[in-house]
Amino acid sequence: MSGEPSLETALSALRSARGRAFWRGLDDLIERADVRERLAQEFPALGGAASDWRRRDVLKCLGGALALAGLDGCERSPDEDALPYVVQPDGEVPGIARYYATAVELDGIAQPVMGKTRMARPIKLEGNLHHPASGGATDAFTQAALLGLYDPERSKAPAFRGSETDWTHVDAAISSLRAGLDKSGGAGFRLLTGPVGSPTLQRQIGEIMARWPRARWHEWSPLQRRTQGLLLDSAQVVVALDDDIIGPGPFQTCHARRWAERRRAYQAGQGSALMFVAEPSPTITGVTATDRLPVRQDRIAVLISALEAALDERPAPAVLNTREAGWIKTVAKALDLHRGQGVIALGAHHAADLHDAVRRIAARLGNPQPDLPAEGEDLSALVADMSQGAVTALFVLDANPVYANPSFAPAMKKVRLRIHAGLHADETAAHADWHLPLAHALESWSDGRCADGSATITQPLVRPWLAVRSRHALLSGLLGAEQTGLEIVRQTWELDDERWRQTLLQGWIAAPPPAAAASVHPITKGSEVPAPRDEGLTVIVRPDPCVWDGQFASNPWLQELPKPLTKIAWGSAIHVSPALAQTLELRNEDVVRLSVGDRSVEGPVWILPGQQRDTILVHLGHGRTLGGRVAQGIGFNAWPLVGATGEVRLEKTGRSEQVASTQHHFAMEDDEFVRFVDAAGDKLPQEPPRFSFFPPQKSSPAWGMAIDLDLCIGCNACVVACVAENNIPMVGKEQVAKGREMHWIRVDRYYEGSAEDPEHVFQPVTCMHCEDAPCEMGCPVNATVHSPEGLNLQVYNRCIGTRTCSAYCPYKVRRFNWFDLTGGDPPELRAVRNPEVTVRGRGVMEKCTYCIQRISAARIEAKKEDRPIAEGEVVTACQAACPTQAIVFGDVSRAESAVSKRKANGRDYELLREANTRPRTTYQARIRRGDMA
Amino acid sequence: MTDPAQQQAAAQRIAAIPTRFPAPMGWWVMFLFALCLLALFFVSVAVLFARGPGIWGNNIPVGWGFPISNYIWWLGIGHAGTLISAMLLLVGQQWRNSLNRFAEAMTLFAVMCAGLYPILHLGRPWRFYWMAPYPSTMGIWPQFRSPLTWDFFAVLTYLIVSVLFWYIGIVPDLAAARDRAEKRRWQIFFGLGALGWRGSAAHWHRWQQSYRLTAAIAVPLVVSVHSEISLLMAAGPVPGWVSTVFPPYFVLGAAFSGFAVVSMLTLWLRAMLKLGALVTPRHLNMLGILLLATGLMTAYGYLAEVFTAAWSGGREAETMWDRFVGPYAWSYWGAVVFNFVPLQALWWARVRTSPIALFLIGLSVAVGMWLERYMLLVSSLYRDWLESSEGLFRPTFWDWSLYAGTLGLFLTCFLLFIRFLPVISAFEVREEAQEALDG
Repeated sequence: MSGEPSLETALSALRSARGRAFWRGLDDLIERADVRERLAQEFPALGGAASDWRRRDVLKCLGGALALAGLDGCERSPDEDALPYVVQPDGEVPGIARYYATAVELDGIAQPVMGKTRMARPIKLEGNLHHPASGGATDAFTQAALLGLYDPERSKAPAFRGSETDWTHVDAAISSLRAGLDKSGGAGFRLLTGPVGSPTLQRQIGEIMARWPRARWHEWSPLQRRTQGLLLDSAQVVVALDDDIIGPGPFQTCHARRWAERRRAYQAGQGSALMFVAEPSPTITGVTATDRLPVRQDRIAVLISALEAALDERPAPAVLNTREAGWIKTVAKALDLHRGQGVIALGAHHAADLHDAVRRIAARLGNPQPDLPAEGEDLSALVADMSQGAVTALFVLDANPVYANPSFAPAMKKVRLRIHAGLHADETAAHADWHLPLAHALESWSDGRCADGSATITQPLVRPWLAVRSRHALLSGLLGAEQTGLEIVRQTWELDDERWRQTLLQGWIAAPPPAAAASVHPITKGSEVPAPRDEGLTVIVRPDPCVWDGQFASNPWLQELPKPLTKIAWGSAIHVSPALAQTLELRNEDVVRLSVGDRSVEGPVWILPGQQRDTILVHLGHGRTLGGRVAQGIGFNAWPLVGATGEVRLEKTGRSEQVASTQHHFAMEDDEFVRFVDAAGDKLPQEPPRFSFFPPQKSSPAWGMAIDLDLCIGCNACVVACVAENNIPMVGKEQVAKGREMHWIRVDRYYEGSAEDPEHVFQPVTCMHCEDAPCEMGCPVNATVHSPEGLNLQVYNRCIGTRTCSAYCPYKVRRFNWFDLTGGDPPELRAVRNPEVTVRGRGVMEKCTYCIQRISAARIEAKKEDRPIAEGEVVTACQAACPTQAIVFGDVSRAESAVSKRKANGRDYELLREANTRPRTTYQARIRRGDMA
Repeated sequence: MTDPAQQQAAAQRIAAIPTRFPAPMGWWVMFLFALCLLALFFVSVAVLFARGPGIWGNNIPVGWGFPISNYIWWLGIGHAGTLISAMLLLVGQQWRNSLNRFAEAMTLFAVMCAGLYPILHLGRPWRFYWMAPYPSTMGIWPQFRSPLTWDFFAVLTYLIVSVLFWYIGIVPDLAAARDRAEKRRWQIFFGLGALGWRGSAAHWHRWQQSYRLTAAIAVPLVVSVHSEISLLMAAGPVPGWVSTVFPPYFVLGAAFSGFAVVSMLTLWLRAMLKLGALVTPRHLNMLGILLLATGLMTAYGYLAEVFTAAWSGGREAETMWDRFVGPYAWSYWGAVVFNFVPLQALWWARVRTSPIALFLIGLSVAVGMWLERYMLLVSSLYRDWLESSEGLFRPTFWDWSLYAGTLGLFLTCFLLFIRFLPVISAFEVREEAQEALDG
């Protein structure tokens, strides 16, 4: 035993010491060299570990640690100085969370957001309140982008022919490519991107093209060709011809917000808010319209010429049926009445001469000129070049052409060097030599152009935790430059430090972005629209409202989102009109084979009321074969039908396939779930008060919500915002089909009228927070109780799961954890959770809380300052996201609060008033869209 | 009525059944079958505990499915035992003596099966005791407005009273069995159960008092327990549930289904244990009459329900109409047909005394009442107020397996009971016979 003698020696040394020998502990003595030696002999592992700390060192270190802690708390520090949003605007929830102005991108259009981070973890994206394009709203895609960042299936490291490698090998390969390109002037090198909106990316591509003039850039943009948002806020009349202007897509937030601004003015009696839509299949825009004309896609041309003729007071040049003639007459009258205040929009997929005609009409009426859609490029030129062997190196940057184009993969095989950069090891990655993992927008520096034409800087919210690089870093590496992401972006903008700081703080640049240097890229013509045929079936292919072109297929928040019009989650269908279904004896979920010429897809049928009789609608974005477990094996891939020509056939296969729809019954029958008034200013009839044994609840604040059904467009932004805010688990297709989806807010959709041309109405349903809540009476263990502020609370840890509350709830807004839905989540999905919201375990009931965590945060702030909670201080997640501001939340005990004013507007009603539950959430009746005011 | 002397001889045999079981082969076959079902029960419960209630077909809106409808069904069956035993005891119907013991046992086991369901059905079954009013450290009591709280009390009370009543009733027979047993282990077994019963006058006196007192407690419990169960539904604002007819409707339905099962068990035991001398055609006749009477009362409940729904109009009427023609119409018409059509044959005494006919009618009623519970629960919940929240309920394998499992539990317990305990109250039969001889 060596320990005891050493201590012994130490003690004896102490005893024999003279003078003031201070010691602080026996450890001190052991620090002596001879003791350490012995210690090292005995415990080799500890020998080195015993520290040489001196007081000064400790203090230095402490000081350093404090300084570091002061820099970023216990966060991982960003590479560069990202600047938090310091000015807290009214209505923002203050707290220890930090907000950074940044943006995410959809098809080259930046969506400005405030990224909320806690402990360096981005946990929520809110709209940027001060951004002119969004005014603080977001769409469903933007809300779900957060989950895209944490997607556990994202590529984690570069791969060479399927096996993982590291960036040094990539850099070596890139530099040899660069050397080759320098030698050849870029001959045979092709860069393929999606739509590029980022000025920095455009600058970099311009530099590449300038350095290697024989290289070519293909900007593949099959869907998005609008460049700037329409000025719907000032439009008294909007005519949308086969153009889903307020539907899902990069312009939804901007357009919906502007439309709602106009609509609210109309509600207040200022001007009109007319919208006329002609479209083959119902869209959000169509069902929101004053008058919606179901029409074949190839008859749009006829309608345009008829409209032109009607405005010239010439007889219609083509044979119109009475419905069409009536529609044209109304539209022409409205446009004529509101000269200079109309907007005419035509779907970008229509031919250029039609766009010219629309511009002529706009010019005639003195309306703002609609922008011509940017000429998109399809893949045919590139595929042809590749097949001919003219391409030696292909760099696919953040695009997935192999999935979208069946002829791409075989042609790609002829390319010697194939590089793919993307978030996922997707179909294109599988055909590439190199797969380079890209950084997500929320973890890289970038910039972008917003829907209103302003530019924005994208700050990273978090440092990448995977071996990924941003698009800019990859292109900069290709050019051989050694720049950080921040340097690359700042080079584009040339702002001094102060202005740069300002830009980061507010999140956007009012000045137009610098002229794109890369405008020299060659353009090929988009695919031709087939010549009009008035008979036979016609197929239209549209991006999926939830997973878009497939880029969001690996995002479960979007996969599980019920599509606005069909309420189908997890998958796609072949949508047919009720008349066609009757003719062909099709029922929902029958699997059919849809062929166009020599191309065909198979999928389940879904009957879509309001669809033009001969039109068949399919959605892109499903049927992925690679790209993550969530994406794979859902639905069918409709991309082969894009650009297909030939006879359209629909054949039954005799099989059937389950379609998970969250709403099976759409008719309101005799009930008035959604109420109407006839015109702006009309009020609903007064109803006699209902009697109750219970006294009315009086408290201040008394939380309540108002949802204006005249403004709701059913876009689902609230649903995804709620998922992100409240840690709502996703359950998958099978469970959704069983009726076990967990969304706390759902958007109900009802039809009224005929199946051929029904009126559609949307109704978001949250927990009503009834004052006389049946659920509270039913619960045997006091797990659902009423708060003094009028909230219907659900106490998860008291709940034993009898489900009585759900049985008794007339609104069926309660959701039950049938399984342990959260315990098996990988660390990435744990990181995305909002730390202020309990993660629910198996066997408990849950439901909308009115974002009680936000109420608590506001209450804490108010208490600190010894004041009542201010009006507008609590903003629920659904309310914040809503692009039309249909949802208002606040204190109903104060007459001057926004929610009280909204409820006092005469259109207020309680859903299921006959249930006598006295709900705190009320609705405002929809104003019939047949108004011609 | 058979000869009292013969009856007395038969009574002698009853006490000997456990020790010299008359049909060992048949018993073993049935017992193995019951054990298989019991194994299924344990598998189903294990899977349930491991994965959660999601293994069933329940969803939103139909948050209650098989567990609750089976719970009501089982509990209803249990009630017949109490009625036959306690009510007929109180009103002095001597013929009950041939039936009461196993009817009580049936009650006991049915209540066991019933009582398991609401616990298994919980999202977090390990917290079921939170429904009990105990002074917890959390300082939270049950929510006394909830019908479930009272449900918990009701079932627990009923279980305790049923156990007491059955046990008090069996004590003298246990003593008899103890005295007759030749093997030591049987003597100890019965001796422990007999609680030192010696048959003294004082014993009999106290026994009479306690037995009748317990019976007097048990009978109103039948009414209150099943009324309370009906409030599970009737207290909720669900069209098709909110009806004042529910409590009597449920109680009568319970008695109806219970008598059906009692009839089936009677005929089965009569055949297997050759109890023809004790369970005579007179008993069958009485059972048939009871079945018919309660059946007609239940039918009145059906009519009253249709009437109130039509009278209220609105959602109530819609729900009623949906039961007639909607996706669950099979359960409504199934209930009507199985419950009431074969029942009409019981108007004829010949049918009532025919063991096979009575057995089949009992089976039909048991099925019909099961369909009724299912119909009442599911057809109301799947579409209540908002069209948008409609959703169909489809039972899964695990729904059925747990149900089959509870049947296994019931059968296993019941088979053990008939194997090891006197199935018929021997001393009461003797008493009855003696009185007949004396008289």
